Amino acid sequence: MSLMQGKHNTAYYWAFVLPSVLAVSVIILIPLILGIGTSLTDSDGYTSSFIGLQNYLRLMKDTQFLNSLWFTLRFSFVAVILVNAIGLGLALLVTQKLGKVSTLFRTIFFMPNLIGGIILGFIWQFIFVRAFEGIATATGISFFSAWLSDSSTGFWGMIIVFLWQMSGYIMIIYISFLANIPKELIEAGFMDGASDWKAFWHIKFPMLAPAFTISLFLTLANAFKIYDVNLALTNGAPYGSTEMVAMNIYNTAFYQYEQGYAQSKAIIFLLLIAAISLTQILITRRKEVDL
Amino acid sequence: MEMKLNKSLFSLLSVPLLLAGCGTGGTESGTSDEGAESSVEGGVVKLDFFNQKPEITAQLEELAQMYEEQSDGQTQITITTVGSGEGSAGLQARFSSGDEPAMMMLGGLPEVERYSDSLLDVTDLEVSDTIIDGMLEGGTIDGVPLGVPLNIEGFGWMYNREIFEEAGVDPESIQNYDDFAAAVETLDSQKEALGIDAVFGFSGGENYIANQFSANFTSPEFNDSIIESYEATELNWEYGDQMKKYTDLFNEHNVQPILTVDYSRSVEELFVNDRVAMVHQGIWIVPTLNDIDPEFAQEKLGLLPVYGENDTEGKIIAGAPFYIGVNKNLDEAIVEESKNFLDWMYLSDEGREMIVGDLAFVPAQEGYEPSDISDPVSSELYQALLDGETGAMTHKQYPDGWFQQVLYPEYQKYLTGDQSWEDFENNTAEAFKEMR
Repeated sequence: MSLMQGKHNTAYYWAFVLPSVLAVSVIILIPLILGIGTSLTDSDGYTSSFIGLQNYLRLMKDTQFLNSLWFTLRFSFVAVILVNAIGLGLALLVTQKLGKVSTLFRTIFFMPNLIGGIILGFIWQFIFVRAFEGIATATGISFFSAWLSDSSTGFWGMIIVFLWQMSGYIMIIYISFLANIPKELIEAGFMDGASDWKAFWHIKFPMLAPAFTISLFLTLANAFKIYDVNLALTNGAPYGSTEMVAMNIYNTAFYQYEQGYAQSKAIIFLLLIAAISLTQILITRRKEVDL
Repeated sequence: MEMKLNKSLFSLLSVPLLLAGCGTGGTESGTSDEGAESSVEGGVVKLDFFNQKPEITAQLEELAQMYEEQSDGQTQITITTVGSGEGSAGLQARFSSGDEPAMMMLGGLPEVERYSDSLLDVTDLEVSDTIIDGMLEGGTIDGVPLGVPLNIEGFGWMYNREIFEEAGVDPESIQNYDDFAAAVETLDSQKEALGIDAVFGFSGGENYIANQFSANFTSPEFNDSIIESYEATELNWEYGDQMKKYTDLFNEHNVQPILTVDYSRSVEELFVNDRVAMVHQGIWIVPTLNDIDPEFAQEKLGLLPVYGENDTEGKIIAGAPFYIGVNKNLDEAIVEESKNFLDWMYLSDEGREMIVGDLAFVPAQEGYEPSDISDPVSSELYQALLDGETGAMTHKQYPDGWFQQVLYPEYQKYLTGDQSWEDFENNTAEAFKEMR
C-alpha cells in the first residue's frame, strides 16, 4: 500500500497499470459480469431465457453439489494443514547445515511440482490401484488393498497426491523466509539459553508469519479449485463421492449442457473461495511482525 | 525494505492464481490443430473435419491426404480430433466460438438435435442411398436424416474361444441365459487350471461401459428403436430384473475390486493376455487387440449375445456410434466439397478399401461381402445386422449427462453393495424423468 501513496507522476502510473487493468478486465471482470448474467438464465450454450434466481434456489437442494462442496471443504481443510506442516518441516530440514546435499534435497522435494496434474494423477492411480494391491498380496496387509474403490481411500488418495505435489513448492517459500531471518536474533536467543525448540517456536515461527500468509493463501486457493488431479486420479469415483466442486461445475456445464445452472454454481463457489481467502489473509496479516 | 519485497512478491504470486481461479479449466484430450478453420482462399477449399474418435485419426488423415492429392491441391482437409469423452464439449466450444467445422462426427440424437439448425439434409448425398435399412434412424430429426452413419459397432460379451475350449464349454451351445450362467460356473470351477484371475474382467471403473451394458436392457423396453428411446420421457426398467441377474453373476466372478478395473486393464492387460475369459466390450477393441497380439482377434475372439429381454432371446447391440453431419451454414463451395469428400470416402474404391481395410470398420452400407470384413467377429456382426437380429444403441439417446451423473454412480453403489437394486432403479428412473 505504501508504494501507492507517493505523489507519482500520474501519467506514468497509469501507463504502467493500464496493461494489467486491461488484462484483468478482459480475462476476469468482463467474463465475471457475463457469468453473473448467465447464471440467471437457463442457458444450454445456445439458447437462454431469463429465469431469475431459480438456479440458485435449485442448487440449495442439489445433493450432489452439496456433497461436492462438503468434500471440497474437508479436502481443503486437511490438505492446507498438512501441506504447510510438511512444507515447513522440509524447509527446516534442508536449511540445516548439510552442505551441497541440501541443494540436492531441495531439488528432489520440489520436483513433483514440475509434473502436470494429469500425469501425476495417472501415475498415482497406478501406484494406488496396482502397486498397493501388489504390496497387499505380497504381505497380506489389508491396509494396502482396494485403494480408490471406496470413498475414504478416494479422499486420502487425493490428499496424498496433493501433498506430494504441493509440499515442495511451499517448502521453497518457507526456505526463502527462513533465510531472511537475521542470524543475530537466533544467536542472541541461544546466548540467553534458548534450546533449539524454543528458538524455533519463539523466534523463527513469529518471523515466518508473512510466509504463512502467502503459503496458506496459495494452498487454500489451489486445494479449492483442483480439477486435473481429481479428473485423472478418481474422476469422481466411486459413485461421485470424490467429485470436487470444480469437476461438478464442469460436468454440469458440459455433460448436462446446463450452462446457466453451472454458472450459478461457479458464482457461489467464487464467493465462497473469496470469503475464505480474504478472512485467512486478514487473520494471518495481523500476526505479521515488522522489524 | 524487507516487507515491501514480501508484499510485492505476494501480489506477484497472487495474480496468476486469481486469473486461474475464475476459469473452470476444461481439458481437451487428443490432438487438435489450432486455427483449423474452413475457408475458401484463392480457389483452394479448406475443410475442417471434427473427429471424436482418436483411434482413427491416422486413417482419417490418410484419407484426407488421398483426397487432397487427387484434387490437385484444390482441396485441403484438416482433421481435428477431440475424443475420450470430451468430444461433445469440444464440438460445442467450436460452435460457440464461431469456428464451426465443415464436417463433424455427432454421437447420438441428442447431439444431432443440438446442431440441427446447422446440419444439411443428407438425402442429397449419394452415400445415403446405400445405407443399411434403419441405420439412418439414429441421425434423423423430425423425419429428416441429418447425418451419415460413420460405421457400425456392436457389443456384448466378448470372450476368449481358447479358454472356453480348454474348459470344455462350447460357445455355440449357449442358447439361453441358463446355459450362459452354467458356462460361467464351469469356467469358475477351473479357474486355476485355466490360469485365469477370474471369469469376468468387467470394467466397473468406466462410466461408458456401464452405459453400454445398460443398453442390453433398455433396448427391449424401447422396442429396439432409437427414435423411441430418444423420445421417451421415462425409463421404467421393465427389464431391470434381467440386468440385476447379469450384474450379480459377473460381479461375483469378476476381478476385484471391480470399481478400479478400468478399460486398459480390462482389455489390454487381462483379456488379451488370457487372464479373464470374458469382458463386456465391443468390436472397437479389435484394432487394439491386433496391435498387441495379431492372432487374437482372428483365432480367439468371440462375441456372445446378452439375454436382455428374457432368458431365451439373445441380442447383440449394434448401431452407428457416430453420424457425420455436414454444416450447411458455411460457404457453398465448402458444403459442396464436404459432400463430395463423404461420397468419395464411402463410395470410391480407395475409400471402400480403407473402410474395411485399415479402418477395420463394419460398414453401415449394403454391398459388402461379410467375408470382406477384417475379422470373424466383425463379419458375424455385419451378417446379424443384414438379418436384422440386433438390438439398438438406446444408451446413446439418454438425457444429456444422465449416464455420467446418475446411471454410473448409482450402478457403482449397487456393485459395491452400498445400495439395493430397487434403489438403483428408483433413483435412476426418477433422474431420467427430471433430466429429460
